[in-house]
Amino acid sequence: SPTGARPVRGGGAPLRREAINRPVIERIIRVDHAGEYGANRIYAGQMAVLGRSGVGPVIQQMWNQEKDHLKKFNELMVAYRVRPTVLLPFWNIAGFVLGAGSALLGKKGAMACTVAVEESISEHYNNQIRTLIEEDPEKYKELLQVIKQFRDEEQEHHDIGLEHDAEATPAYSVLKTAIQLGCKAAIFLSERI
Amino acid sequence: PSHSYTGQGGQESEDYESEEQLQHRILTAALEFVPEHGWTAEAIAEGAKTLGLSVAAAGLFHSDGSELILHFVSECNTKLSELLEKEQKLVQLGEAQKKPIDEFLRHAVEARLRMLIPYIEKWPQALSVLLLPRNIPSSLSLLTSMIDDIWHYAGDQSTDFNWYTRRAVLTGIYNTTELVMMQDSSPGFEDTWRFLENRVADAMTMSNTASQVQSTGEAVVQGLMGAAVTVSNAESSRAVT
Repeated sequence: SPTGARPVRGGGAPLRREAINRPVIERIIRVDHAGEYGANRIYAGQMAVLGRSGVGPVIQQMWNQEKDHLKKFNELMVAYRVRPTVLLPFWNIAGFVLGAGSALLGKKGAMACTVAVEESISEHYNNQIRTLIEEDPEKYKELLQVIKQFRDEEQEHHDIGLEHDAEATPAYSVLKTAIQLGCKAAIFLSERI
Repeated sequence: PSHSYTGQGGQESEDYESEEQLQHRILTAALEFVPEHGWTAEAIAEGAKTLGLSVAAAGLFHSDGSELILHFVSECNTKLSELLEKEQKLVQLGEAQKKPIDEFLRHAVEARLRMLIPYIEKWPQALSVLLLPRNIPSSLSLLTSMIDDIWHYAGDQSTDFNWYTRRAVLTGIYNTTELVMMQDSSPGFEDTWRFLENRVADAMTMSNTASQVQSTGEAVVQGLMGAAVTVSNAESSRAVT
């Protein structure tokens, strides 16, 4: 049944055995986990190329925040017993390649990639916040808090990217559009498989 | 669709029972007659009779016993979950030892397969019905949720591709052991449990080997990188002198 009461793991997990809209929550957690995993790999790729450059510390700091995000979603995934997307090995490679590839275009390229990805992620988190509020803001209070906080931090990354001359990248709008299309496809697939 | 027998003013009567609940009761009652009649309309008819219903109630179900078999599988899975949940609570309260993974998996699979013993003569028939295209979505879903339950109680916390490998491996172990059990005539199915023990041990070895291979691979890569850096340093220092 869609509102199945599967036992939820974790001391103090607030939704233990309460009927939650499993299909919706599972999708949200699966795709967000995949997204944070991909973001981690993107920053890893960027650091591999630009780690020792002047912009290295900035990228490292954003990467550290993404690591925290991933850690949180790992916990939520276990607590809600959600299956990870089967595409994880693919996002592992694709994320790294995107990060390294954009960094090979130089510091501005890396920042453009960051702006594109973080804008997509922020929009995506906003959609999820809307969905959860429409469902039941009280029941999903904890999850809403987490997503709102992460949305704010991704927005910060986006702004940092702009501050570091992302828009001065050659073919900026082409690059941005291409990356954002990729993000949309990744989100669509990771929600489902 | 559930029929609700409501009285006036929308108040539900004391004897309210949905069609789904009624079917549930009939199928549960029918299980008693499966060893004799197989997974058939006859067993369902007999079950309906014990509940004081007409044998025509068997007409509510498919003639190949699909619903009866799926009901049985679902009930067994529920019993297994309840058993594992109870045992987990005992461990949490400190009243029992936490089992190591291989022992836990063996225990869970054995407990689940033992539920087949009263019906073992007719189980091959049930397996073939579960493989009918019409039933595959349901039987697959029941199988995957049972395997996922076992891993959950075993303490699996993987959030990467291991999530899939572990479940695939355990599904393989469960299915092959089930097939062995169908053909096992040893006392107390001891051949089956020994087979199960070996398969679980194989899986543990495989996973140890896999992580060893990975560590070795990583070490080799590190070594090569170190060698490359050394060579390039040597080249550049040679170029200077």
